[in-house]
Amino acid sequence: MNVVFAVKQYISKMIEDSGPGMKVLLMDKETTGIVSMVYTQSEILQKEVYLFERIDSQNREIMKHLKAICFLRPTKENVNYLIQELRRPKYSIYFIYFSNVISKSDVKSLAEADEQEVVAEVQEFYGDYIAVNPHLFSLNILGCCQGRNWDPVQLSRATQGLTALLLSLKKCPMIRYQLSSEAAKRLAECVKQVITKEYELFEFRRTEVPPLLLILDRCDDAITPLLNQWTYQAMVHELLGINNNRIDLSRVPGISKDLREVVLSAENDEFYANNMYLNFAEIGSNIKNLMEDFQKKKPKEQQKLESIADMKAFVENYPQFKKMSGTVSKHVTVVGELSRLVSERNLLEVSEVEQELACQNDHSSALQNVKRLLQSPKVTEFDAARLVMLYALHYERHSSNSLPGLMMDLRNKGVSEKYRKLVSTVVEYGGKRVRGSDLFSPKDAVAITKQFLKGLKGVENVYTQHQPFLHETLDHLIKGKLKENLYPYLGPSTLRDRPQDIIVFIIGGATYEEALTVYNLNRTTPGVRIVLGGTTVHNTKSQECGVLGFSGGAVVKNPPANAGDTGSSPGPGRSHMLRNS
Amino acid sequence: MASLDDPGEVREGFLCPLCLKDLQSFYHLQSHYEEEHSGEDGDVKGQIKSAVRSHLSDFKKHRAARIDHYVVEVNKLIIRLEKLTAFDRTNTESAKIRAIEKSVVPWVNDQDVPFCPDCGNKFSIRNRRHHCRLCGSIMCKKCMELISLPLANKLTSASKDSLSPHTSPSQSPNSVHGSRRASISSVSSVSSVLDEKDDDRIRCCTHCKDTLLKREQQIDEKEHTPDIVKLYEKLRLCMEKVDQKAPEYIRMAASLNAGETTYSLEHASDLRVEVQKVYELIDALSKKILTLDLKQDPPPHPNTLRLQRMIRYSATLFVQEKLLGLMSLPTKEQFEELKEKRKQEVERKKILERRATLESQQRLEERRSDLVSHATNGEVVSLRGGPAPLRKAEGWLPLSGGQGQIEDSDPLLQQIHNITSFIRQAKAAGRMDEVRTLQENLRQLQDEYDQQQTEKAIELSRRQAEEEDLQREQLQMLREREREREREQFQAASLHMRTRSLDFREIRPFQLEPGREPRNHLAHALDLGCSPAPSSAAPKTPSPSLALEPIRVWSGPPALGQEFFPQSTTSQHNEVPSLNPFDEEDLSSPAAEGTASPPAAEPSLGPPACVLKEYNPFEEEEEEEAVAGNPFTSPDSPAPSPFDEEDGHPHQRPSGPPVPGNPFEEAPCTNPFEVDSESGQEGEEPIEEELLLQQIDNIKAYIFDAKQCGRLDEVEVLTENLRELKHTLAKQKGGAD
Repeated sequence: MNVVFAVKQYISKMIEDSGPGMKVLLMDKETTGIVSMVYTQSEILQKEVYLFERIDSQNREIMKHLKAICFLRPTKENVNYLIQELRRPKYSIYFIYFSNVISKSDVKSLAEADEQEVVAEVQEFYGDYIAVNPHLFSLNILGCCQGRNWDPVQLSRATQGLTALLLSLKKCPMIRYQLSSEAAKRLAECVKQVITKEYELFEFRRTEVPPLLLILDRCDDAITPLLNQWTYQAMVHELLGINNNRIDLSRVPGISKDLREVVLSAENDEFYANNMYLNFAEIGSNIKNLMEDFQKKKPKEQQKLESIADMKAFVENYPQFKKMSGTVSKHVTVVGELSRLVSERNLLEVSEVEQELACQNDHSSALQNVKRLLQSPKVTEFDAARLVMLYALHYERHSSNSLPGLMMDLRNKGVSEKYRKLVSTVVEYGGKRVRGSDLFSPKDAVAITKQFLKGLKGVENVYTQHQPFLHETLDHLIKGKLKENLYPYLGPSTLRDRPQDIIVFIIGGATYEEALTVYNLNRTTPGVRIVLGGTTVHNTKSQECGVLGFSGGAVVKNPPANAGDTGSSPGPGRSHMLRNS
Repeated sequence: MASLDDPGEVREGFLCPLCLKDLQSFYHLQSHYEEEHSGEDGDVKGQIKSAVRSHLSDFKKHRAARIDHYVVEVNKLIIRLEKLTAFDRTNTESAKIRAIEKSVVPWVNDQDVPFCPDCGNKFSIRNRRHHCRLCGSIMCKKCMELISLPLANKLTSASKDSLSPHTSPSQSPNSVHGSRRASISSVSSVSSVLDEKDDDRIRCCTHCKDTLLKREQQIDEKEHTPDIVKLYEKLRLCMEKVDQKAPEYIRMAASLNAGETTYSLEHASDLRVEVQKVYELIDALSKKILTLDLKQDPPPHPNTLRLQRMIRYSATLFVQEKLLGLMSLPTKEQFEELKEKRKQEVERKKILERRATLESQQRLEERRSDLVSHATNGEVVSLRGGPAPLRKAEGWLPLSGGQGQIEDSDPLLQQIHNITSFIRQAKAAGRMDEVRTLQENLRQLQDEYDQQQTEKAIELSRRQAEEEDLQREQLQMLREREREREREQFQAASLHMRTRSLDFREIRPFQLEPGREPRNHLAHALDLGCSPAPSSAAPKTPSPSLALEPIRVWSGPPALGQEFFPQSTTSQHNEVPSLNPFDEEDLSSPAAEGTASPPAAEPSLGPPACVLKEYNPFEEEEEEEAVAGNPFTSPDSPAPSPFDEEDGHPHQRPSGPPVPGNPFEEAPCTNPFEVDSESGQEGEEPIEEELLLQQIDNIKAYIFDAKQCGRLDEVEVLTENLRELKHTLAKQKGGAD
């Protein structure tokens, strides 16, 4: 149940199977992203893959001394490109891998194009999703729904992505879905259909407890994506934006040339791997330790290397030192930028009120705090709109709801029409009417007591009070208590035992806060392995597209929250994205 | 050691399925697997093959159908082409040629085709019809293509070659064609202009020509290997060589640095030079690839350049990564030192083992004295007498740090304790291989200790039984008095043993289990070795917890050994037939000692040391490296390559001098210290000379590396260090000269 490993294994196998010699990797737009998430350039170079080309690029030279490894999604377009490629082959030999099921007729037309017999392999390798973390995947689908229903194209993409994931993990699951969402039901049915149709593929060794696929809809919890995050990976994603492990730092004031774009990959960066789930304060002290450690190792002018022994020690430590200095400068820059943004945008205060809005039920104090922040000049227009959105979602039906007043305040603050519109859109998307379950008021006695105790003790960390709704859902699921009337099984059979291998898919996108939840559950619950996925993991890019979809009309494509930043705010303000993350 | 790497070697034991390490026991293997491989998903490699589905057979089926059609098409054309060129066109009349041409393929009737099928123009007097000689179809002059005879020959001969690969190497078809071509070209220049006779070309339609051109392209590709491929193949060969040699070298260097004498220093430094040569070659080759065709007039396609840059980049990465991992060798002096240390270490270990043996001997002796020693094992004793003087020479108490305060009750526990402290020491000293060996020992000891209780019981029971037998049979009045005395001493113990023995009698058979024999022996030797001690105090359990006891035991052996000599001789005189089952084991015990400790290797300690004295290639290497390193220290060497500005990759910046051949040739003059380091090679050097040179060498590599990555501040620091080092070197040299 490690998605990064699963995809990497596919890619490695492709490369291995093509034998020695110079190679070119021929990909499409999506598979480029898939590969880049699991392999770094230098890693893949060592395997003699020297060129990376897009199948649709016209400017490719004939290089008969190269072997071509084609890793493509099985779309009509790609098949056509490939047919043209085979008619006039540019490389000596072709190893063709489709990332999903390809039709027999497509295979036939490809075969007929291969008059020069250059094709040595045609296979399906089911790496058809973006592996973000070992337990987190994304399909990078933006705007998956039209209104409450699926865009048919995206539905088929989501189905393909999910079935590929199941195949790559070798799971043939039972399926449960969120009853309140039509989209979830549709997707569940489509996945089931594929499993039935390709039953030979899904014949895996049976496990004692069959794996479970749970399909949820974002609209059930529109709150989580609206909150500021304080763990490292989530913050970086939210404030700077991570795109396929890359972070664009070019807008950081005074950034040095080689730090314009940095790569944060848990695979290759130990510090990142150790800290990605820690919160900001801890990262601060860890960075400090890292620095101190580094300073100790760093040769200084005054620290003369007096003896040969000193010298030798220095030289022997040098390679580590070198590696370390790269890591240090990268993380110091990133964390520095994060903390700059936090103070510039007054995020600590904003986050505190956000958490209050999300987790507590004190209407008057919440309203007061929101009003106060709306007056603050430091709070950006998007953050302001977000606060109002949270308020609107939580106190939608509250007797003394003063949303109109807040909207007025927004207007007075000069928040643009676009953002103000988001408020109503968000309510429409994730309001009470839509939600299948109650987000805000805990129903059972245990939860009420818990919250009461929490209130008494004071909260350990005001910025991380919020637990995503997913936590509760998964907790119930693991304990076998998830209600069947809310999350029914597809088909007649039900799971008797507690589930062990769980795949959760959120239509409308997952967040890094939820990824953290899953990570912690995996760690703390022995015997349970959970993989989380979403049509997207909210990031800068999804936010831009979200804006597009949004401006296109009343269609809510993503949690509108992602529609946050249109790039209108200059400089670092771009990071307004929503939780991106 | 080397045998471990034999390719055909069959290994057994508890091997990790992923890294093939032998973990000795099931539990070790399990914990190793959990620690090292838990991240790689819970399954073993073979089982995690992800789901895939191949369409290859389907694909091939469809393709085969298609290809058949295509191949037939091509072959038809080529056969016709051959017929058309099979006669001497120049010396044949037009009419006759035409007749032959028509016989090859029936021409389409003129009347049937009023328009050119390709361009659609109407045929007329001016726009005449032309026939394709290969398929007989009709086209206009504009759409007509021509196939020259050389091309035709190439196509036909190639297919002949491929069709009949069995033809004799003389290549008769080829030579025929060749001669024909020659005759044609000589005469055609005169006759071709005269009429439309087409004596050196064949008319055909565009379709046939296309097909033939494709075929030609295929033929070309088969024969042509671009330069880059040749260079690249060489490059890969070099890399493979490094992959193969570098680990070997690293193993050697590690072993040498640990003071082992498995490998000779000379050999290792030869290997180092060799590996470094290969690195240079890789550098040169990749640079050559980088600049390939750069000067050509139509500049190469950007993708070609990208490919070349990527190859160069990956070669640089390769060198960087591996070169930095290439640890340095100890100097002669250091090596001597290391060897000395190692020797002590080995001594220490040997003593440990010897002590174990002695203890077993001691136990034996005591028993013997107790039993009036009937065995004829005098020679065994004398064999074991050897080590005793050695022990005097090197007390091992001081070596083991925590010795004084050891409170462990059991010698085994004590040894475990000792070894743990050795491991700590070795770790502090950074000698990982020793740590490994020691840990190995530790593990064995622990295993033994675990077995000890059982073993002890078994052993005691056996001994007890024998004692009783022997006592009964071999009472000798002569020894009576002595025995009496001994009895007094041991009575308590033996009484105690007797009580125990009965319980364990049934377990005895285990003792004979062959696989365990050597280990058991040691274990029980140790075990019994401790039994006398309790006797002096009070009857105790086999694993007594007397704080003082160990020390007594250690000081004991020499004295006991001496004491036993006369005893054993007497026993020899007595020549009592041996019923003692221990005899066999006693004989084997020195052997066991031999295998467990490496004294066998000891004789070899001498020779290498002598060799080292006159050993010199090492210095040469150093010198070479100093030269080699130089380019890296001259930061403003002329712009090395036109790529500098072009590529965004900081790593790609070619670092060496512009000379593409050997990057290390140019530099000697840039370094003012060069002369020093060279002159320093002769004669007796101060101790640290080689080390200095090596450090210089390393630092240069780091500077090179730092520069490549553009970390200029480091370069500065490093350069500073380098200067200092060189200064020291120069000073030293001044002093020496």
